[in-house]
Amino acid sequence: MPAPAATYERVVYKNPSEHHYMKVCLEFQDCGVGLNAAQFKQLLISAVKDLFGEVDAALPLDILCYEEKTLSAILRICSSGLVKLWSSLTLLGSYKGKKCAFRVIQVSPFLLALSGNSRELVLD
Amino acid sequence: MVRFKHRYLLCELVSDDPRCRLSLDDRVLSSLVRDTIARMHGTFGAAACSIGFAVRYLNAYTGIVLLRCRKEFYQLVWSALPFITYLENKGHRYPCFFNTLHVGVETFHKLLTTITHMPGTIRTCQKFLIQYNRKQLLILLQNCTDEGEREAIQKSVTRSCLLEEEEESSEEAAETME
Repeated sequence: MPAPAATYERVVYKNPSEHHYMKVCLEFQDCGVGLNAAQFKQLLISAVKDLFGEVDAALPLDILCYEEKTLSAILRICSSGLVKLWSSLTLLGSYKGKKCAFRVIQVSPFLLALSGNSRELVLD
Repeated sequence: MVRFKHRYLLCELVSDDPRCRLSLDDRVLSSLVRDTIARMHGTFGAAACSIGFAVRYLNAYTGIVLLRCRKEFYQLVWSALPFITYLENKGHRYPCFFNTLHVGVETFHKLLTTITHMPGTIRTCQKFLIQYNRKQLLILLQNCTDEGEREAIQKSVTRSCLLEEEEESSEEAAETME
């Protein structure tokens, strides 16, 4: 008896989400440098302005939450500007003469995905 | 074929001050456009646009400028032109603005010599420029009040019409030959 023809259904989900969310952390070479939320945002915008100019510095970028102690933040950017923001964060080298670097911990088109990071799971 | 493709932007520099056009130089203009692209599009834009960038034609009397840029980045150059607000030369600053008239596509890459000897290169830009200049002459004729000026402009209009007829007949001859 010939096997019955297999039926399948293919579902393609094209991600239509408008925003991407990034969890980033700013590290300084020296300790003891503090930034408040406004200075942090100014730093991000000046990084994008250096690399991509005034047109892309006006991209709608939001800091959803910011922790001053650890200098980590969750950013929201429109999806078309993700590559530009990420590349300007990569190329940012200093703040007011002090060397620093951005560490990108997680990027996702869904905010909920940033709440749990499988890299931080600890095995017993 | 594998080659670098360019786009040609035909622009007009408009200014109230008559000294602005006279101080127009291709180096001054080139540095002005590059600075504006660097301001608007950053380091990335400045580097991307300056590779194939050149001022191909410049007419200080009419303020017509022909810029060349690479095909991949011509939109960066085009979008930076409206942000040019002044021309600075030898410490003097003249307010002006750029009016983009035409964007041309090149097929071959050769220098332009005269109208009859151009084998289809920056021809669209050149044709457009000729028609535009003719229309500008007619507009000037309507606007001018002085008799001596009127005669001079009428002479140049009739001369350009004669040239147009000659050029059309020579083009037809060239096509029939082919």
